[in-house]
Amino acid sequence: MRKFFPVEELARDERFNKITMKDRQNDPRSVFAADGEGDSKRANFRLTPARRDASDGARGLMHGIFVGEIQALEGAGRTCWDFETETEAPFALKLDMARQCWDEARHVEISVKLSDWMGTEIGQYAENTVLFEAACSTDPVMRLAGVNRALEGLAIDVFTTMKEFGDLAGDPYLEFCEDWMLADEVTHVKMGSDWLRKMTEKDPERRNKALEFQSVVDKLFSYGGTRSDSSESPIGLARRFRELAGFTDEEVESIADVSLQALNERKLAVAKMLGAADSLTAAAAGE
Amino acid sequence: MADPYKARAPFAPWDRRTLPGLFDVEESARRVGNFKWAEMKLFEALGGWVATVPELDVKMRLGTHCYKHAWHAELWHKRLPELREMNPDRLTVAANDAMTRFVEAMTEPEAADQTIEKLVGVYRVFIPRFIAAYTYHLNGTSEITDAPTIRTLKLILQDEFEDWRDGEMMIQSLIETPEEVARAAAHQQKLETIMIEAGGLAGPGTLGSQ
Repeated sequence: MRKFFPVEELARDERFNKITMKDRQNDPRSVFAADGEGDSKRANFRLTPARRDASDGARGLMHGIFVGEIQALEGAGRTCWDFETETEAPFALKLDMARQCWDEARHVEISVKLSDWMGTEIGQYAENTVLFEAACSTDPVMRLAGVNRALEGLAIDVFTTMKEFGDLAGDPYLEFCEDWMLADEVTHVKMGSDWLRKMTEKDPERRNKALEFQSVVDKLFSYGGTRSDSSESPIGLARRFRELAGFTDEEVESIADVSLQALNERKLAVAKMLGAADSLTAAAAGE
Repeated sequence: MADPYKARAPFAPWDRRTLPGLFDVEESARRVGNFKWAEMKLFEALGGWVATVPELDVKMRLGTHCYKHAWHAELWHKRLPELREMNPDRLTVAANDAMTRFVEAMTEPEAADQTIEKLVGVYRVFIPRFIAAYTYHLNGTSEITDAPTIRTLKLILQDEFEDWRDGEMMIQSLIETPEEVARAAAHQQKLETIMIEAGGLAGPGTLGSQ
């Protein structure tokens, strides 16, 4: 088995459909909040049972959690394998990654059962493999920043939103499971925060590079504003749990800014796209 | 109530533990170092394979088992300084070159259609060797002086038996044709041959001498 496994070769059974980040961004169904009009463009897009598409939205998000957990499991597993013990990654770090494997495997189990509970079949939604891409760096510190801090940080936000959704929807089964997964994710983010500090203690340049990478991944995982403090984002920023996971106030503010920026960029792009579509329609009508 | 000052035997009648054991401190540490090395190689391989297997149930089991073997490695890592080895890395080595070659051969399969080979290497060859080596150590070491190792062995053996059963059931559920039976057997034979040369987890004498 080689070191460093390419994302294109992630092994899946016949039910799965992989897509890229570009495919996802170009999916017209993800268009929202361009001008505040119409069902798909309303100002409040937070995932709550009050949304007319709440049922499908929650199922889609749960399927996204499911495939995300598979990739998180694969990423942690690869960190156990890809780096030589002590010369490239400390023994204790690899033990933490192995522990994360078990946790992520449980999360896959939980999300499969929750998806079934919610009436979703495996493969009903596409799988975006961008999560595993963040786990492909040849530097373990970059992986910790990209996966444990950015990706698992996003998981904290997602699980908090889903837990609240379960509470509001009167679904204690969903709320119960999300609460347990949230506890694990806080642990994983803290692991990442602790190791990042420890491994770059005497190498500020490496730390800065890792934090820059985290920022890029944070913005990417904001999915054009899917996660931010704004109610226009389906997923909120779970500030309290992020603090527990070792994020400083400054870091949380920075993520909030990046997410909001991503949301505004997305809104601008959608507005341009709709403008172009209107022009095309007018041209076709001979106006 | 009985007289609390009445002399009692230091060992209760039902406590039949004895002092003699097969290993001195040095030999015990050497074996524990080999055990740690083997557990490390196993958890690393299981973690690496997760991304390469398409079967969802197998993927999840490998992730779970990966942690168990990492925990075993950690337990042995902590035991080494208690056996007078203050630099655990010094003894964290393969028993011999053949054992290194065994791990290389076991971790060779990568393709998505080689799940049978991956599982056979771990659950039909490597894990049974863990169970054998640990059982021999458990039965042979001093029940009193080496009690901490015995406790660790009992905890680990519980995992090994469960994982072996999980793995064997996965293999049985994957093998459906005579060709697949042959594939599994051929791979097992290839690995067993190297393992025979290695002599087991702790080298020749892993299970004593006949």
